[in-house]
Amino acid sequence: MTIVGITACPTGIAHTYMAAERLEKAGKKMGLRVKIETQGAMGIENELTAEDIREAAAVIFAVGIPVRRKERFEGKTIYEIGVQEAIKNAEAILLKIQNELGR
Amino acid sequence: MKVSRFKQYLLSGVSYAIPFVASGGILIAVSIAFAPMTASGPDFSRAPFLKLINDIGSAAFAFLIPVLSGYIAFGIADRPGLVAGFVGGYIASQVGAGFLGGIVSGLLAGFLVFWIKKIKPPSYLRPIMPILVIPVLSSLVVGFVMFKIIGAPIRDIMTAIQHWLEMMNTGNQVVLGIVLGSMIAFDMGGPVNKVAFFFGAAMIQKGNFAVMGACAAAICVPPLGLGLATLLDRKLWTDQEKEAGLAALAMGAIGITEGAIPFAAADPLRVIPVIMLGSSVGSVIAMLGQVGDHAPHGGPIVLPVVDNRLVYVIAILAGTFTVALLMNAIKKRMARKEQAKEAP
Repeated sequence: MTIVGITACPTGIAHTYMAAERLEKAGKKMGLRVKIETQGAMGIENELTAEDIREAAAVIFAVGIPVRRKERFEGKTIYEIGVQEAIKNAEAILLKIQNELGR
Repeated sequence: MKVSRFKQYLLSGVSYAIPFVASGGILIAVSIAFAPMTASGPDFSRAPFLKLINDIGSAAFAFLIPVLSGYIAFGIADRPGLVAGFVGGYIASQVGAGFLGGIVSGLLAGFLVFWIKKIKPPSYLRPIMPILVIPVLSSLVVGFVMFKIIGAPIRDIMTAIQHWLEMMNTGNQVVLGIVLGSMIAFDMGGPVNKVAFFFGAAMIQKGNFAVMGACAAAICVPPLGLGLATLLDRKLWTDQEKEAGLAALAMGAIGITEGAIPFAAADPLRVIPVIMLGSSVGSVIAMLGQVGDHAPHGGPIVLPVVDNRLVYVIAILAGTFTVALLMNAIKKRMARKEQAKEAP
């Protein structure tokens, strides 16, 4: 299963990247493909492609500011959480999504 | 509307404004720190290079309110919101509506464009909506509101406050101290702050150094107090707030109240009352201790031109610790509440 996501904190220099790393690491541990786009102070990095988004079973927004280019995710199941939440409970969040999707 | 959404919009503006505050604040600070301080402010007449640095910093700082406003609108309405947001923010700073005016113009521009975007135009008009119709229409409306509806009342309010301040000078010093301190902290370098500051500067010309002394202590309390708060209890603050805290300490030390803006914009209803109280503590102590400031500038950096230096230092420390301890106590209570909510 593929899960994509976006992380963005207001300053965009530390937490954005920490949250992305935690989510990707947790995904690897659980055998999921997790790709996270960071919208930090350096702009958009590790950008999600149209294919990434098409294949994704769910989308996570771990953000403290509005998501940029949100229209790419129209029609997708979106889970919106805080950046801190993703840093603290990345695995629990992925587990919850996994359960809710029934796989 | 959900409060968390609203906070996201404000933080969107703050996140783009932070680098401008850092660039402008640090350049201005460096130039003031190295220029000789005189009775009429820092003297750049024999330091053209410092003057240049000061001018560049001021240029960066001039973008603070337009960028704040523009990216609040961007957060709400995405790209089409930028123009009206920037235009509104620029007008806010032009008419002296400051940081609070910028927030109002950003929200106004954002919601207006968000609403215009909902209208479904005929297909032949669609391509020109984002590049022509929305920018022109939204700037026109936001600009009109800022110039004609919101701008004038703020100016009037400011004039009224100024008269009231001048009349009160003969009255109770404690009341005056509280009023000055609250005004200095209220909008952190905005119009209300500037009214108190210019009143203090005007009093220097008339030979009264006490009003400026009270202002000088109040000016540095918000950034110093919030910076200290992030140092006293590291786990209450996020990494980005800790970084903003260090910048705030540096800006507080050289008397730039704007250093507190990142904190206040993220959580205005809690931060602004706390820093108003802290600055009031500082200016009341300075008033009662007859601190006089001969330079129209504040913070620890003016210590060489201050009368009753010991009381001045005590006033700053008292205000700073008031802010730091109170802020952390509130933060702790919030954290406990959130934990209680999360627990089953």
